[in-house]
Amino acid sequence: MAISPPTGSRTRVAVLVLASVTLVVIGLRDVAVVRDLREGAAEVVAPVERALGTVTSPFRNAWHGITDYEDVKRENDRLRAELAETEAAGIGRSDAEQQFADLTAALDLPFAGDLPTVTARVVSGPRSNFSHAIEIDKGTDDGVAVGMPAAAGGGLVGRVTQATAGTARVELITDPEFRVGVRLAEGGALGTARGQGRGEPLAVDTSINPRTEVADGTGVVTSGVDRSAYPPGIPVGTVAEVREGSGGLALELVVTPLVEADQLSYVTVLQWQPE
Amino acid sequence: MRPRRWIPLRAALVVLAALVLQVSVAADLRVAGAIGDLVLVVVVAAALTGGPDRGATYGFAAGLLYDLVVDTPFGLTPLTYALVGYGVGLAGAALQRTSGWWPVAVAALAGVAHAALYTGLGNLVGVAYPFDDLPAIALVVGAGAALAIVPAMRALWWVHGHDEPDRLEVMFR
Repeated sequence: MAISPPTGSRTRVAVLVLASVTLVVIGLRDVAVVRDLREGAAEVVAPVERALGTVTSPFRNAWHGITDYEDVKRENDRLRAELAETEAAGIGRSDAEQQFADLTAALDLPFAGDLPTVTARVVSGPRSNFSHAIEIDKGTDDGVAVGMPAAAGGGLVGRVTQATAGTARVELITDPEFRVGVRLAEGGALGTARGQGRGEPLAVDTSINPRTEVADGTGVVTSGVDRSAYPPGIPVGTVAEVREGSGGLALELVVTPLVEADQLSYVTVLQWQPE
Repeated sequence: MRPRRWIPLRAALVVLAALVLQVSVAADLRVAGAIGDLVLVVVVAAALTGGPDRGATYGFAAGLLYDLVVDTPFGLTPLTYALVGYGVGLAGAALQRTSGWWPVAVAALAGVAHAALYTGLGNLVGVAYPFDDLPAIALVVGAGAALAIVPAMRALWWVHGHDEPDRLEVMFR
């Protein structure tokens, strides 16, 4: 087997590293060229992803059956109990009805008020180990636009960060880069919630005096203060832990999100944009 | 030897196939919350079959394409892939005469190294990727790379051609 000697490689790798670092710097500035390239790539990938997703779904279902065995077993037990109750009431529920129930749960958004909404199916979860975004099957043709908040039955899911004609990308609340202004449902104290990774609770930095009592289970909703990226009153989660923030001058809250962002089949995009 | 004019086309085909499979299929196959990385496997295979130059070049190009379809900081994947490709190329050249299982071991280590490098550099550019997630990601990416490296090396030999069969490949025939 012929292996090229490393002589001369250093220059090439130095150039490539320099080019990559330049791209990182450009990317951090969120320039239009990068955005356009990513939107173009999304347009190209979406139909291929859809087709391959359909073809490989039996295999993926089998995989989930093996790797998610314990979860599936628990879910199976729960569904059996539900089925028994349903049968007792003389009502059968088909898979289609279950899907419809999921869909209507996603539509149950009392906080959305009069805001128009678009319900979308989740077509893909995070595409890499370091990605915290999902892809949905509705785009600009359906009225979805960058900046709109996304929610599911229980509360805030994330925010649309990219939209093409037929698809959109939603940054999840678990993304370490995700930030949302929040307020406590009781007392009304303001803070900023930030994601801490998949399966992790949110951290909320507040200006609440450390001597103040904040009860576990207190609801946290979007603040919607002036120029906020989110409308007010969308449920975000509940307080799971209260601790002193860095410096000990204010409280930091650990908040359990209401929505398990990894387990979504449908999301509802609220057609609301910051002014 | 392959006609040189077909090499870029075949290389693009292999990288794109890995990318499409990654985002359409592999991304849904989670183990302990983490997924394998088929694109990284192609980069490692390129480095093992062609040395550090080829590893770094494939790493940069494949990383650039991958970054177009994810929401992670743009440029970070080409940077980490190019560094891993270069490192694996050097390691491959140094370990050429050891056990026939060296590609598997090197691929596993490359997966672990990439997970650590990405997490570290991500934090350096201001994205607080949790280090708690690193063990699961490193384990899954490393194991996935070890499993997929032999077919990936065959794909790279299809692209670039090779004169002598690898000992592992002879064993699997």
